[in-house]
Order: sequence, then C-alpha cells, then structure tokens
Amino acid sequence: MQTSNFKQRIKKVPPVAYMLIIIIAIFSFMEPHYLSFSNFRNVLIQSTPLMIVAFGQTCIVLTQGTDLSLGAQVSFVTVLTVFLAQRGIMLEVAMLISVCCTVLIGAVNGLIVAKGNIPPFIATYGTQNIVNSISLLLTAGSSIYFSSFTYRIVTETTILFIPLMVWVAVIVFAVVWIVLRKTKFGTNIYGLGGNREALALAGINPAANLIKTYAFAGMIAGIAGIITLCRVESGQPIVANGWEFQAVAATLLGGTSLREGKGGVTGTIFGVLLIQIIKNGLNVIGVQSIFQNAIIGSIVLAAIIIDAVVRIRAKE
Amino acid sequence: MGRTILTAKHITKLFPGMKALDDVDFDLREGEVHILVGENGAGKSTLAKVILGAYKAEEGEITFDGKAVKFNGTKEALERGIVAVYQEFTLVPHISVAQNIFLNREYRTKMGLLDHKEMEKEAQELMKSLNCEYIDVKCHVKDLSVAEQQMVEIAKALSFKPRIMVFDEPTATLSEREVDSLFDQIHRLKKEGIGIIYVSHRMQEFPLIGDRITILRDGVKIKTVGIDECSNAELVNMMVGRDVSRVYVRTPNEHSETALSTEGLCDYKGKVKDVSICVRRGEIVGIAGLVGAGRTETAELLYGIESIKSGKVFVKGKNVLPRTPRNATKLGIGLVSEDRKRQGLALDESIALNIVAVSLKKMFPRFFLSNKRIKETALDYKKQLRIATTSVNKACKYLSGGNQQKVVLAKWLSFNPDILIFDEPTRGIDVAAKMEIYGLMDRLAAEGKAIIMISSELPEVIGMSDRIYIMHEGRIVDEIERGTGDFNSETIGARMMLGAGGTVDADE
Repeated sequence: MQTSNFKQRIKKVPPVAYMLIIIIAIFSFMEPHYLSFSNFRNVLIQSTPLMIVAFGQTCIVLTQGTDLSLGAQVSFVTVLTVFLAQRGIMLEVAMLISVCCTVLIGAVNGLIVAKGNIPPFIATYGTQNIVNSISLLLTAGSSIYFSSFTYRIVTETTILFIPLMVWVAVIVFAVVWIVLRKTKFGTNIYGLGGNREALALAGINPAANLIKTYAFAGMIAGIAGIITLCRVESGQPIVANGWEFQAVAATLLGGTSLREGKGGVTGTIFGVLLIQIIKNGLNVIGVQSIFQNAIIGSIVLAAIIIDAVVRIRAKE
Repeated sequence: MGRTILTAKHITKLFPGMKALDDVDFDLREGEVHILVGENGAGKSTLAKVILGAYKAEEGEITFDGKAVKFNGTKEALERGIVAVYQEFTLVPHISVAQNIFLNREYRTKMGLLDHKEMEKEAQELMKSLNCEYIDVKCHVKDLSVAEQQMVEIAKALSFKPRIMVFDEPTATLSEREVDSLFDQIHRLKKEGIGIIYVSHRMQEFPLIGDRITILRDGVKIKTVGIDECSNAELVNMMVGRDVSRVYVRTPNEHSETALSTEGLCDYKGKVKDVSICVRRGEIVGIAGLVGAGRTETAELLYGIESIKSGKVFVKGKNVLPRTPRNATKLGIGLVSEDRKRQGLALDESIALNIVAVSLKKMFPRFFLSNKRIKETALDYKKQLRIATTSVNKACKYLSGGNQQKVVLAKWLSFNPDILIFDEPTRGIDVAAKMEIYGLMDRLAAEGKAIIMISSELPEVIGMSDRIYIMHEGRIVDEIERGTGDFNSETIGARMMLGAGGTVDADE
C-alpha cells in the first residue's frame, strides 16, 4: 500500500521537474560557476513577480480560461501606487488601494466572461488594453517616481538568507494551494473547468464562482505588482508586458490542462523556474540576448510537446 | 407495495412552440420501480425534471408525502430527498470521489477548511453499502471506469438519504455485467422503501426491474399498467401509436459479387485476431459479440482509424490498405460509428453542414461552395429520412438521438459509398426511429450496397442480417447463414458468451 502510494506520488511529479534537472545539469556542465548559492538566489529573486502572477493564472486556467490582463494589472499597480503617493497618500495605503483596484478589474473580467458568455481570451484582451491605456495616461507615457524606504524593506530584508519578497511568493503559493485543495471555493474552481453542469446541479452558482476566481487572480496580480514596484522603485506602465503569456506557458509546463480543470499550483513553480533558469543560464554562459527569446520559445514548445507525447503514450 | 409517496396531477409544461407535457398524471409508491417509457420527445425526461424541480410546470400540482409542494430549483427537491442519477455524468473529473459526493455540502474543520478525512470516511461507508468498497474514494473520478463512475453517482444520490430516486437511461453506457450489478443495486434500494422512477426505452430491461409502467406519447400520458399486464408488442403500439408488428423488414434480394473481404486481419492492440470476413453486394452481414469482443475494433481497422498489423483487405477483389478514414472513404467505405456524438457529428455545426461533410469535395470539385446547393441537398435528405427539425440550419446538438442518427445516415447517403459499416446503429434511439433506420438499411441492401452491421442487440442482428459472424475475444468463432438451424438467438447468444463450442446446454 505504502509503495503504491509512493509510486503514485512519483507519477504526480510533472515531467517539467525532470526537464528542470536536465537543464540545470547542462548549464552547470557548461559553466562551473553556474551552480552557486548566490546564482540560485538570483534566479529566485528574478522569478518572484512572475511566479506570483503565474499562481493566479493557474487558477484561471483551471476554469478553462486565460487572463490576458494580468500583466497589465501588474504594471497598473506600480503606476497607480506611485501616482497616489505623489499626491500625498501614504505609500502603504496607496498600495492597498491599488490591490483593491486589481481585485475590481478581476471581478469585471469575471463578470464579462460569466455573464456575457464571452471567451476569456477576448474579454481579458479587452481589459488588458484598457488598463494599459490608463497606466500610460497616468504617467504620460514614461516612468513616474516616488522615493521611499519601504521598497528596500521588501527587497532587502532577509530571513534565512532569502529576501522577504521571495517569502511573499511562498505565502501566496501556500494560500493558493490551500484554497485549491482545502476549500469549497477551490473545489468549485476544479468544477468550473471540469463540469460546470455538475456545479449547477449541486446548487452552486457557476457565474459567481467564476467572478470570484478572476477577482482572486486579480488580487494575486496586485501583490505581484507591489513586489514589482519595490524592485523597480517607480511606476512603469509597461514593466510587466507579456507576463500574462509567460504565466500561461509556465502553468501549462507545470501540467495544468487548458481543457478539463486538471492540474494544480505546485507544477506551476517548476514551470516558472524552468523559464527563469533558462533565461538566467543563457546569460551566464553568455548567449546574446537577441537569441535568448528564440531559445526560450523553442524550449517551452519542446517541453509542452514532450508532455503531450508522454500523456498520449500513458493513455495507450 | 408501500403507500404512495408522490402524486403529480394535471402537469402541463410548455416549451417555446410546443407542449412538452399535457395534463399528465403520475404517482409513485414506496419501494416500487415505476418505469417511464416513450419515444424521444415524448416527455418522459421532462416529467422527471418537473418532479426533480429542474423545470417548473405551468399547470398542475405535486403532492409529496401528502403535502402539496412547489420546488424552486433542484436544491429544494434534493433537500426533501428527491434525487436524480443522470445519464450524462454530473461528476467533476479532477477532484476526489469523496469531494464529488459531498459537492456543495462539504464537511469543514473548525478552521473552515475542507475536512477530507471525514468526507472520505463517510464516502467509503457509502461505497461499502453499495458493495463497491474497491473504489478508492481518494481517487480522482477521472481515473475510474464508466461503471465505477456510475456507482459514484449512485453513492452521491444515496448520500442525500433519498426517498425518491430518478434514473434517467442509466444503462445506456454500461456493459452487460455492469447492468446486472446496477439492477442488483436497484433491487436493494427498492427493499429499503425508496421509490424509483426509471426512464428508459430498453424494453428487455423492464420485466427485470419494473413494477409499473407509464407510457407517454407526444407529451400525453397514454396509460399506466402493471408490468405483467402488457406484452411488449402492446407496449410498443402504445408508445408509437401504430401497429409495429413487423419491426424488422427484409426484402429478399440477390447477392452479387464480393464487395469487401479480409484475410487474417490483426491489429496492434491484440483486440482483433485473425479476422477473415466477407460481404457481398446486396447483403447485410451482422457481427455479433459481447462488448469487448473486438467488433468495433474490426470496423476501425476497415475504416482506417486504427492501423492494421497483419492481414489483407480486399475491396472489389483488389488488395487495398485503408490507412486513414480519408483513404477508406476514397475506397468507398463508410462508417456509421458507435458514438455519434463524438465521432459521427460535429454537434455545434448545422444539420446541413453535417449532411454534406463527407461529400463536399464530390459536390464542389472547384474552389467555392454554394450554400444554396448545400441547403437543397440537406432539405432533400430531411424529407427523405424524415428528420424532425424546423430548419436544417439548426445545430445538431439540439436534435434528439434518433434524428441525430438520421443526420449521420444522411451524411453517408449523400456520399454514396458502396460499403457501409453500421456500428450499433440504433443505440439510444426510440422504436419509431429504429424502424425507419431498419427500413433504410433494407433499401440500401436492395440497391446493391454491401452492409456490415455491428450490434449488441441480438434480435436486431438476427432480424436484419443475411449472415452473422460471431466474435469472441477478438476472433471470429462462427458464421451462421440465415435459414440454417443455428440462426436463432439461443445458439448465437451462447456462442457470443462462450466462444466456438458454446451450445445452449453448455450455458450452465
């Protein structure tokens, strides 16, 4: 009984984890200094904001959706917080207001998707553009600044050699994991992707839960926005452009399926790490940045294809 | 028989453009199985849904336990103990069995988090009461077989401590053995005094589980009878409203040259072993066998869905290799597949488009399509096959099972292949539509088509075939010609179960 349990656990490890190990092995073979604690710490720090966004995106993907406005929401938080702080509102309060705004944006996304019955891809593409425009309006197209010591608290306080911001990501992970596995809301998220009719027949309101899920992802994007703000120490309207897609890629790499409410947030960690480790490794071994995107794109594709092939084999 | 727990009087339910139920009376007693029969669209599912609170009836009243009730949604009915076991499963695939059973009634710990342990414990007990303790309640539902999923559905229903259970076509997706165990469960539930409403049109099941039958036709109740008071023929007459003494029609005709034959066909999965069959023009050849005997797999080899490992296929004497379905259609082979919803139709597309799907290239060898011609073709087949729909532009998903099957048939008729394989052509469709499909098959044979029919329903195979191959565990174990002494359901049935040597006596 115990061994079969162990085997099942092994089977649950997404293939991307193995891929991660292989990639790390390759890089450390090519560059001996690669495998150092400080470099690993760097990767963790660089991954943090995207990691948090991806946790939110995973919840959306589980409902058979994608939220393309998450990147725009992150940028918007950096902009709005600085914008408000410049006008005399306490920075911490401004942060809170910004996060409330992203929750609202998420709720609007959910409302359009659930009540308008509009494909999430389209609905959130719309809000992405609107939110981006607002960010650019507030900053007149460039960066805006507000200096504060608070940023450094987040980025430079360390607990067990790890900066506070990484711990924030750990907490967000724990919260999302508990929500998905240990709450009614989480069960409903799996139901939204797996069998909406089942929810409706059990007397659960699918639309309300969908709105909640998008708002939840919005809140998480808001937190990622705060972290990003602390790193760049300014309001930057396009700082997180494209993160939403990276988050989707990381989610899929992590074994969450776009089709049937299958997967979870643990795999997403590996997905994000894979993307970031490749980026970092290419820098360390000195690959020109113009080639980097093509290489990352190829590896993401390869990972997803390998995953699909493994799954089809397993079925047969 | 117990006392009456539910009475429905003068139920009328309107849908846009039609009366789904018209002044229907119905009652249910404790510990009885009350079967609702009727053709598709007769209103049996609608009546069940009114009782379940999923639909609100425009007129009429329901009395439950002596008190008049009006349910606002299924949840209110659930709370009173009226539950449904649906035909399409209502389970969430990637959460555990226990979570599914307690969906929206989750147990929580003091912290407000889900109490998986408590739910799993109770779920395991429910499974045990169903004699299904082998199902691991921690397992994701997705990892269970169809039959196991059905048991989870029943367990879920039982967890509501039901007084009334509604089964809507529960056996449609089950194999014979699974059906048996389902019936055992139903008998057990009966003994506990639960009233059961059983919606079905598989008549052979009725005497096995039913107590009373209510027949509906076009939304009107025809009659309620005791199970022993009515013969099958009378039942069908009441359902269809006309005499159907001759269900299976075969016009005698000449069989000419061999259209398709195989020699020693094997597949890669070991489901088809050394299959040699042949079918002549004008002939209907049946393939009988149990579920899993390799019949569908053989059809899939011929139609190029699965790859042939060894063996030969001859079409009109020429050695060919159907590599893909596209390839097979070019060779003049058509397949009416077992699963029309997934393989036979594009459900979201219009009826017209589905009808011309295969023959588009034939109809329009040049680049552009003509919507006018597509529509004309579709209307032609709509008339020919009597497809009941207001418009051929409607999406196929809105059609009843029988009409969907007619669209699949229309698709092949418009393509006009020489060889047609029918895999379970009448599964899940009502008697009237069945008869039309039999008539059509007969007509096609008379026109000189070669037809292979795969079916689990023995009367159907025997009624329609000129010759029957019997498959058992991947092999053809026997071939029986119409008119010979062995062409009867006892012999064929025994060989299906036991293989070549099977006789009626060996059945013990």
